[in-house]
Amino acid sequence: MAIECLVLGAGQDVGKSCVIVKINGKSIMFDCGIHTGYQDHRRYPDFSLISANSGDFTDSLSCIIITHFHLDHIGALPYFTQVCGYNGPIYMTYPTKALAPIMLEDYRKLIFEGREEEKQFSSEDIAECMKKVTAVDLKQTIQVDKDLQIRAYYAGHVIGAAMFYAKVGDSAMVYTGDYNMTADRHLGAAQIDRLQLDLVITESTYATSYRDSKYVREREFLKVVHNCVAGGGKVLIPTFALGRAQELCMILDDYWEKTNLKVPIYFSADSFSGLTLQANMYYKILINWTSQKVKDTYTTRNPFDFKNVCSFDRSLIHAPGPCVLFATPAMISGFSLDVFKLWAPDERNLVTLTGYCGSGTIGRKLMVAKPPTRITLDDNVQLDVRCQIYQLSFSPHTDAKGIMDLVKFLSPKHVILVHGEKPKMVKLKEIIESELEIPCYHPANHETLHIPSTRRIEASASDAFLQSCLCPNFKFLKTDPRQDSELDDDSNNKRKMPQLQVCENRVAQGLLITLQKNQSRKVVTENELIDTIGTEIHEEKFAYCCPIYFPNSESRDISSFHLILFGKLSREFPDLNIQDCEDVIRIQSFVGSFCSKAKCPYRTDVSFQSVLDTVHFCCAWSMGDEELAWRVISTMKNLKLSDRIET
Amino acid sequence: MEHRLLADVVSKLGKFPILSPKLTDAALSLITNPFTSDETLTSLLETLVAHLQNPDINHAILFSLLSALSNHHPRLRRRISAAAHAFVLLPTTATPTLPHALSLIEPAEPTPFDPFSDESMFLSLCFWQCVKTRRWTLRNVSKFHVRPSVFLTVLLGLTKDPYPYIREAALDGLVMLSNGGIVVDDRSLIECCYFRSVELLFDAENSVRCSAVRAVSAWGQLLVALSPDKTKADWSDALFVQLCLMVRDREMEIRVAAFSALGNIRTVSEDILMLTLAKKALSGTNEKTFPGQYTAKLFKLPATAAVFIFVNGLEDEFYQVRKSACHAVKKMTVLSAKFAGEVVYILMQILNEDSVVVRLQALQTLHHMAMHDHLKVEESHLDMFFGALVDGNALIRSAARKTIQLTKFQKLAMFRSCIDVLIKNLELCPQDEADVFYALYKIGRSHGKFVTKIIHEVSQELEPSPYGKLGFTKVRTIALLVLAISAPVSLERQISTIRPEIYSYAVTLLGRLTRGLGGLTDQNALLDYLSHCSRFTVGSTSESFGEVLDFHLKDSYFQLQKRSETTCVEIVFQKIVDLWPLIQLGCMNEVIRTLRSWKEELQFFSLDSRPPAGVLVFALKYLHVIKLLGKAWACYFSKRNLHFNGIGILEALLCKTERRLKEMLHRFTGLSRGVEMHILELMLVTYTLRLPYGGGTIFFEDYTSKVNSVFCRVENLGKEESTQPFPFLIDLQNISHEIGNSRDGFIHKPELLQKSLNLFSLKQIVVSEKLDYLDAEIDVFDNDFQNPLPFISGLPVGIPFDITLHNISLGTRLWLAITDGEKSTQFVFLDLHEFGGCNEIRKSAFVAPFFRTPKVKHFVLKVSVVMECLSEGQHSKHLNGPKQNFIYLSNGKEIHLSTAEK
Repeated sequence: MAIECLVLGAGQDVGKSCVIVKINGKSIMFDCGIHTGYQDHRRYPDFSLISANSGDFTDSLSCIIITHFHLDHIGALPYFTQVCGYNGPIYMTYPTKALAPIMLEDYRKLIFEGREEEKQFSSEDIAECMKKVTAVDLKQTIQVDKDLQIRAYYAGHVIGAAMFYAKVGDSAMVYTGDYNMTADRHLGAAQIDRLQLDLVITESTYATSYRDSKYVREREFLKVVHNCVAGGGKVLIPTFALGRAQELCMILDDYWEKTNLKVPIYFSADSFSGLTLQANMYYKILINWTSQKVKDTYTTRNPFDFKNVCSFDRSLIHAPGPCVLFATPAMISGFSLDVFKLWAPDERNLVTLTGYCGSGTIGRKLMVAKPPTRITLDDNVQLDVRCQIYQLSFSPHTDAKGIMDLVKFLSPKHVILVHGEKPKMVKLKEIIESELEIPCYHPANHETLHIPSTRRIEASASDAFLQSCLCPNFKFLKTDPRQDSELDDDSNNKRKMPQLQVCENRVAQGLLITLQKNQSRKVVTENELIDTIGTEIHEEKFAYCCPIYFPNSESRDISSFHLILFGKLSREFPDLNIQDCEDVIRIQSFVGSFCSKAKCPYRTDVSFQSVLDTVHFCCAWSMGDEELAWRVISTMKNLKLSDRIET
Repeated sequence: MEHRLLADVVSKLGKFPILSPKLTDAALSLITNPFTSDETLTSLLETLVAHLQNPDINHAILFSLLSALSNHHPRLRRRISAAAHAFVLLPTTATPTLPHALSLIEPAEPTPFDPFSDESMFLSLCFWQCVKTRRWTLRNVSKFHVRPSVFLTVLLGLTKDPYPYIREAALDGLVMLSNGGIVVDDRSLIECCYFRSVELLFDAENSVRCSAVRAVSAWGQLLVALSPDKTKADWSDALFVQLCLMVRDREMEIRVAAFSALGNIRTVSEDILMLTLAKKALSGTNEKTFPGQYTAKLFKLPATAAVFIFVNGLEDEFYQVRKSACHAVKKMTVLSAKFAGEVVYILMQILNEDSVVVRLQALQTLHHMAMHDHLKVEESHLDMFFGALVDGNALIRSAARKTIQLTKFQKLAMFRSCIDVLIKNLELCPQDEADVFYALYKIGRSHGKFVTKIIHEVSQELEPSPYGKLGFTKVRTIALLVLAISAPVSLERQISTIRPEIYSYAVTLLGRLTRGLGGLTDQNALLDYLSHCSRFTVGSTSESFGEVLDFHLKDSYFQLQKRSETTCVEIVFQKIVDLWPLIQLGCMNEVIRTLRSWKEELQFFSLDSRPPAGVLVFALKYLHVIKLLGKAWACYFSKRNLHFNGIGILEALLCKTERRLKEMLHRFTGLSRGVEMHILELMLVTYTLRLPYGGGTIFFEDYTSKVNSVFCRVENLGKEESTQPFPFLIDLQNISHEIGNSRDGFIHKPELLQKSLNLFSLKQIVVSEKLDYLDAEIDVFDNDFQNPLPFISGLPVGIPFDITLHNISLGTRLWLAITDGEKSTQFVFLDLHEFGGCNEIRKSAFVAPFFRTPKVKHFVLKVSVVMECLSEGQHSKHLNGPKQNFIYLSNGKEIHLSTAEK
């Protein structure tokens, strides 16, 4: 059995996250995003790869799971359901379901408004699409169909973001979506159980960066902002309306409160949609999805009731004096670009860049620019940038350590990296493989991976076996420390296992047999084996007819020969219990007796003829005593004259 | 009704011994009804007990009824316990019913056969197929008294149980065992427990992981303790890193448990500690690995697992984790100043926290750091640090003030803002006044220069209004006055130049000030102090400060702190004279308290100077002698009329005093004659106190010889220096002359002796600064009870010593006294010419033989350095040892020996 994993988007890239995973015949689409960097068909994942033949997506997919409301994870959903015609179940968390339509609407207006010919989906489409969505709660197990189980876990990142666990039969996997392993001001850290997993598909946006402490990040940010406003400058924080904006607002509001600053903080309401207006309101309602810290303080005061933050009016752009302005969107276009154009030429002002800026955006250009500089806005407009530029290290994505922590915690059998840049993914893959010894992959878009998965077979168990499972049955093993040291070539390698180890035998003691009658399988105890399969015991034995040189054997008595042999063996093997009864010598399973047959089948002498002064002694033994048997035989063969005289 | 129900239950049970629900309910109603008569209950109990023997009845229900009975009617418990006990002993009893019965047995009940000590029963319970039985047994493991080895193996085995609750209970049992102080000396068993717990750190069940963290901590500590010194640090690091791994668990409780376990680790190497604050693994520690487990499958623990964990923990979203992390940091800051320096920034940030408990813990951590002198406050921290001083919560403010008191500010500006914030604290929360005053005083004392500067700047504010009215209504003014008070007693020994008027202003606020400084002084003392300060400019009078101030005993504190160690000693010698009347009055409690406070003060100085100067040691010994003598004196006079009561104590005290005095006489070089005379006088007092109760002529002879030898010495001293001998000496000399002639001397003259004793008083002694203390240190490398030296019994064994001698001149005769138990002492002469160094310090590594090795596997020798007292006329009885009496120069060092293994 294998898990089949088709990456439609975010393979060695950031944008249009979309992965189709086929486990035990069930196909799940994780995320359905758009790529904001493209305006053409590359904007959407190539859905045609899902069902090359039929074209019927509803049949091909068991369900769609959306991890959070960011456009690169949900943007293509209305298109897929309304235009491509997918009609199956869609799952997302409650906050995602609440905020997704606003996000989609915002995006639709921004991109399609005025370009009717390009229009891919309408407001109605969004509304219709959302009707198909089933909202889920955290840690709620959803039985999508008879075989498919999914469960959401808290992921941090943005409000309502979730990691999804999916299980079909015995194969299980987790798709993380975007997540954050450390709590920030307003959202908690990702929380998940230790699960038995075959596969984890994780984001890897910051596959190689290591984040500073939260306190250091906040202090730096506040210092830069404070210095700017103290010098009479204006601070522009182009940001996304939901998420970072709230976190930064909280930090600034706190700081303003403490230092008693009177400089106004504006939260821009000047956007196409009501998104920004509603953003803070949503946060106030969705307190349950915020961090524990916010929840703790919520009893006394809603931390999203910012005291020093007021809404912005366009006329204030030209107002003199210092201020702080949160403006959408983050990568500087639209409204934030308007403000930027006005404020950039003044060196007292400050532009902070938050999070990730896609290539080609002005944000990206500023990231690499060193003011004073001149940047190109479009074909014939250039802008002098003299203001300071500060790159925030706040990010809702986990850093390399966080990814490693999660992978280590879940310890899956395989890891797939998505949502990141290829060179960084390669590095992280190497670390995961070397440090955690877990095979790791980073497929490109449209690549399909096959991953072996656990397969369990059903078997009945016998009563005796069940009984043996119930009672503890452990024993202690003592290993020899010297053996360990021999194994350890490297002396620096301090690997050390305890000499004494416990092992529990009760479960391991059964035998799995396949009954031929009906191909059913059964686990039985060792004692029951013979009865169950209805055969007799076949024992494997070794036999050898050993020639022993014995002068004048004809004239001598066989019993004296026995005595000699017995005496010799008793001297040679004082530790063993050697029995001599009725002309047969027994040592454990070794049985030997004088062989009078002329043509013993176990005799290896070529001639089969009796050699002078040689008697034959026929020996048989079972496999376990092989070593012993050969030692006894070699002793017998070396029977010397002196031994005889003694006796 | 009651009777009907009872009859019903009894008769039905008698006929058909089946506990139907109806019957159970009826019985239960009788049990729970508070008005049920005692007779009914008793007969119900007897019926139930009688049915215990019935093998067919449902014992689970029966026992639940009995336990209800036991809970509701404690007076029946004994009977129920006895019945349960009898039931347990029945051979027919099935294992699954045992837990019910056992839980009803009162553990306090003394019984001839204790089922809880029955190993076979314990084992059958542990190996029973029913999970519930196993769980009950494991949860109640503490009730059983079986051999630790049985406990340990069973618990260890059950950590492999497929049921998580059994694993969890087994781990908890292991923790309990390790805490219960069981002795396991089998290292492989401990290792097994440790590694098994480590394995369970990767369990899928949260509760198992949580218990595993505790078990790893407990057994890890044992493992570290049992490791030889060489690998101890490594094992400790391994344990630390292993627990660090759990700090990143996704479960809050496990993170909390992991941090509290980290806090219990006693030693961690600094580089590992620094990793916990670093973003990335530092080069050098990258490759380091420890024995342990990294994931469920990887059995090598890289040091990098510790990276960033404290930062993560301190910014966790759960306050429980932050608090726990803070607490762990508190323990770690003691280990490394570098770590403390790095972590202080994050701790300061935490002072901005929303959660009070976390803020409080952070302050306690800072306080702890300050106590260990690991707190370096920088200017950038001040905002947050001082923020805590004006916190809304009184506990936080108080903790912040405690921390501030110990903080050392490098810059005046920092100190100034600290004072401002304290004043602000006072303005905002007048209820904190006393505490703020105390903090101001304390911090002022450690920043004398800054205080003087600030007081100068603000002296205008401290002036009364132009009309000459002293209206100190502003809290700021009062606070500044408190600050001014602290200047003269500054630890910086800076001659302050604060104008004396200011102190007279402070006098008007005496009541309020006393409340604040109540912990340090009382009102009278403060008044004395203030009036003294206001009379003289401190600069001009600081020389005569001590003489002018006539403090209450308790408040010598003020003076002492102001003085250097020599002057401090002088003051002690000067003040101690005043104690004698108190001793005579029998106020020993007060005397002892005073002596103790002086001792503490002196010890404070001895911390600064290493090795402690002779004068200080002398003073400490003197204080000790006075304490002993005072106690003996009190004992002597209080018990005088009670025949022979308390002689044992008195005898012991006097013996001790004599030994100490002898030591003082011989272990110091450079004693002035006056001092020597005083010591001899004290010796005579000791002998005299001892005589009347010593009894017998033998003792009398001993006394006479001792007294005569002392007198001999006194006379010699007297000849050399024409000082007037003390009255007590003269009197005693006369008496001994008088009765020296008569045979039964002192026994008939106790009143004479007492009279002469009354003539005694303490003298003020002057000790020259060039007093040297003869001292010796003795050490044997790498020897303790775990690492004994090998020997072969009957043959001599060589013991390698490292001996350090202080202030020993070449003429001294030193011996090593090697004592084997209490029996015999063997002496080895130390040839000082073999020692390197000069008089001040000599060192030698030296192998001394010990001859009489006994026929035992292990034994302990006690070794000390002794010095012959050449001046004493008495001869020692030791063969092959010192010819003269000797005194010990070092503490007895224990040396462990064990037979060499073949």
